[in-house]
Amino acid sequence: MTPLVQVENLEKRFEAVRALGGVSFEVEAGEWIAIMGPSGSGKTTLINILGGLDHPTSGRAVVDGMEIGQLSERELTRYRSDKIGFVFQQFHLVPYLTALENVMLAQYFHSITDEKEAAEALRRVGLEERLEHLPAQLSGGEQQRVAIARALINHPKLILADEPTGNLDEENEATILKLLRELHSAGHTILVVTHSQPIGNLADRRIELEHGRLARITLPVR
Amino acid sequence: MPRRSGSMFWRIFRQLLRASRGRLTVALIALSSGAAISSALLNINLDAEQKLTHEFRTLGANVVVAPPSVGSDAALADAAIMNRIAGAGSPQSLAAAPYLYVAANAGTQPVILAGTWFDQVQKMNSWWKVDGEWVTSRDDNSHCLVGQAAARQFGLAPGSHIELRAGEHSVSLMVGGIITAGGDEDSQIFTSLDVAQNLAGLPSRLSLVQLSISGTPSEIEAFRSRLASALPGLDVRPVRKLAAAEGSILGRIRGMIFWTIMLILVLTTLGVLASMAALAMERSRDVGLMKALGGSVQRIMRLFLAEAAALGVVGGTIGFAIGVLLARWIGGRVFGVAISPRLAVFPATIVLAVAVALLGALPLRLLGRVRPAEILRGE
Repeated sequence: MTPLVQVENLEKRFEAVRALGGVSFEVEAGEWIAIMGPSGSGKTTLINILGGLDHPTSGRAVVDGMEIGQLSERELTRYRSDKIGFVFQQFHLVPYLTALENVMLAQYFHSITDEKEAAEALRRVGLEERLEHLPAQLSGGEQQRVAIARALINHPKLILADEPTGNLDEENEATILKLLRELHSAGHTILVVTHSQPIGNLADRRIELEHGRLARITLPVR
Repeated sequence: MPRRSGSMFWRIFRQLLRASRGRLTVALIALSSGAAISSALLNINLDAEQKLTHEFRTLGANVVVAPPSVGSDAALADAAIMNRIAGAGSPQSLAAAPYLYVAANAGTQPVILAGTWFDQVQKMNSWWKVDGEWVTSRDDNSHCLVGQAAARQFGLAPGSHIELRAGEHSVSLMVGGIITAGGDEDSQIFTSLDVAQNLAGLPSRLSLVQLSISGTPSEIEAFRSRLASALPGLDVRPVRKLAAAEGSILGRIRGMIFWTIMLILVLTTLGVLASMAALAMERSRDVGLMKALGGSVQRIMRLFLAEAAALGVVGGTIGFAIGVLLARWIGGRVFGVAISPRLAVFPATIVLAVAVALLGALPLRLLGRVRPAEILRGE
């Protein structure tokens, strides 16, 4: 079976600075991968390329049969709305849209909006009482749950989460991790960038980066 | 139930307006102000021609009907000509004054006597300064008006009498008023047409007819041509100096209004640009996020352009309403008559306001270039 994600000799340079160099790995559909490493090791750069937010300088990154480096801007836009669900450390919700509208925004950019489906997605993350709340009226954990509902609404092939619990307290971190585990159990493919060893240990495999290079791929310590 | 994406567009649109109401209000004030002045000036521009030509008509005749050979003894038949002028059907004819000029004597000194219809002369030359009283009835055969130079020459004042003689005929008239016109009229004596005709022994004859016609230069020319066709064998000629001055003044006023509107629109655009630049800074993160979520540049820009267009429509409508009031006020101050609002100015104001708003929204359009990775990494 063809892996969902194939990364071959991937390199990304920002002028003279090499953020990624010669990184190769594969991810099977349904896997939960933790991408780990110290600050500046290239984790976010890698996830941005896989998410179609950045072009690689050289090498290949293929997701669900689409080689990201070969896609035009228009194709990248379509790729992001069809294949990827993003969860960011800073939540990145649109501040003037309600929780429900933030989820519907992803539907709007994908195809057509379905308010009932968006409300159901929020109910699944435990926010059925918060549909009409603005992000500023939600706690950090609630905002991140809205972001997760938004990431899932278009049934993406790949969920990319960049430090999803980085800004949360322990209680909210536990809630988010529980949600990620449920998603994994439901068969979603998840790539999580994290500094946290406990979160890394929840993954099927850990891809560790150092100075933009692949240091090792390890199995979690359970 | 899935919904058409259009409803979500308006949902985001409404929230966008609500969220940015502070900055949008500033842009709206700039747009409304620019639209108000533009609308007022456009209304004035459309009405100015009518108002100015009306004003010009107080400056005297602008068309003269006379026999072809100037200075000849040829004279016109009064009743016939006045009827034919009236029959030419000019709705714009403000006044028509027949004249018979007679070389007469006051005592031993010669004087030019102008027999005319007093009521029409007053209508046509309302700006003349009169010491004493206007003689207002065309049938008043006992009074005369005397030019101020002639009054000085003959020692006349309102209420005094003068004996006029031409050949075998003579008449004694009371001076109703002394006129100051600033031209040849100042050395003439004005009597009723009957008095002049009887004195000259030329009953029912005229030297010329002065007409005051209201309208644009082209309308006046059209009427002049029509009158010339109706009066074959007579010269129907415009008073060139006045017509040229009218055309030149109108042209200059139009030019001034056009360039003022341009200047106002440039300043308004700068005002809108400043607000939109600040708004663009605030929205760069949202645009980066929308692009990351799969929003195409066209779809995101459509939101911002709709916002700018709505701003233009609202600003244009408010501006038009204020502009109408402004035009009425300016009209009252400058022309003494309120400028009537023209409906055609409304769409023109809206189009201008929307164009300015879209131009001013340039910083928002530049947001299309935002690279989501850079924006999201910046956090």
